Amino acid sequence: MIIYQRRSPVVFPSRPLKTDIRDNWTVVLEYADEGDGPYVIDLSHKVKWDVQSADISNIKPFGLTIPEKPGECLFKNSVLAGRLNRTQAMVWDLSETPSETPDQNSFTDVTEAQLLMAIVGREASQIFEKLTALDFNDPGKKSPYVLQGPVSHVPSRVVSLRSSEPPVFLLSCSRGYGHSMVEAVLDAGREWDMTAAGENMFLSFF
Amino acid sequence: MSRTITCPVCGRRNGYEFRFGGEDKGPRPEEEGMSPEKWFEYTHLNDCKAGIRKEWWFHRDGCGVWFTIFRDTASNREVVRPPERELEAVP
Repeated sequence: MIIYQRRSPVVFPSRPLKTDIRDNWTVVLEYADEGDGPYVIDLSHKVKWDVQSADISNIKPFGLTIPEKPGECLFKNSVLAGRLNRTQAMVWDLSETPSETPDQNSFTDVTEAQLLMAIVGREASQIFEKLTALDFNDPGKKSPYVLQGPVSHVPSRVVSLRSSEPPVFLLSCSRGYGHSMVEAVLDAGREWDMTAAGENMFLSFF
Repeated sequence: MSRTITCPVCGRRNGYEFRFGGEDKGPRPEEEGMSPEKWFEYTHLNDCKAGIRKEWWFHRDGCGVWFTIFRDTASNREVVRPPERELEAVP
């Protein structure tokens, strides 16, 4: 039997303290010197699906109803479903144990194709202000919601998962930009002493 | 930001996020009675009008949606949909 090693496109310049092999991914659970935040957390191993269908409103991934309006998201039982446009949605499973791909031809597993990072901390929206013109301070929007647009000139999807205590943002883009995106995010967060944190830190917020 | 374009999904955004898709020439012509000359005219010839025209744009860096807007080619600015009587003159 061939076992394929799955490598995250996100590599932080920190020393991992605890790791776990999960579904052939090496998942860092904890880094040395994680500090008090803000944090950037690699979640590229989380299962992600692209959902496309002309009849997308009637698709119910894991019992969730895909929101009606583009930009709206639903986060329940660690599964995030976000509407992207009239015929497209995204579904991310943020739980510890990955789910199987639903047996529907509308679903495409894009876990390997996209990186996923969480940016957590009180200063998270200020960090994003340095990276993108997308507006995360719009009082008319209620978390969770997704904005699509360039982050450091890279076409990305940014989910505002939680707006307070502390704010949590999820950033996803094509995996080829991983190295540059990590550099850009850490550089933007340097003035607040942003550090890399492991998956345990992300799970502790929920 | 030199130019903005209003995406029906994402709202008003920087023009550099979009890809130009050409003049809106209406629906694809019927196959019946089609000749190479008519097809050439539909696919390759443009009005290149100086003024307000209807165009296709693609939100490349955003939601991935194709849509039409009205743009004044003389000022290179997006404009609101002209009144019906003026619209008849818009290609």
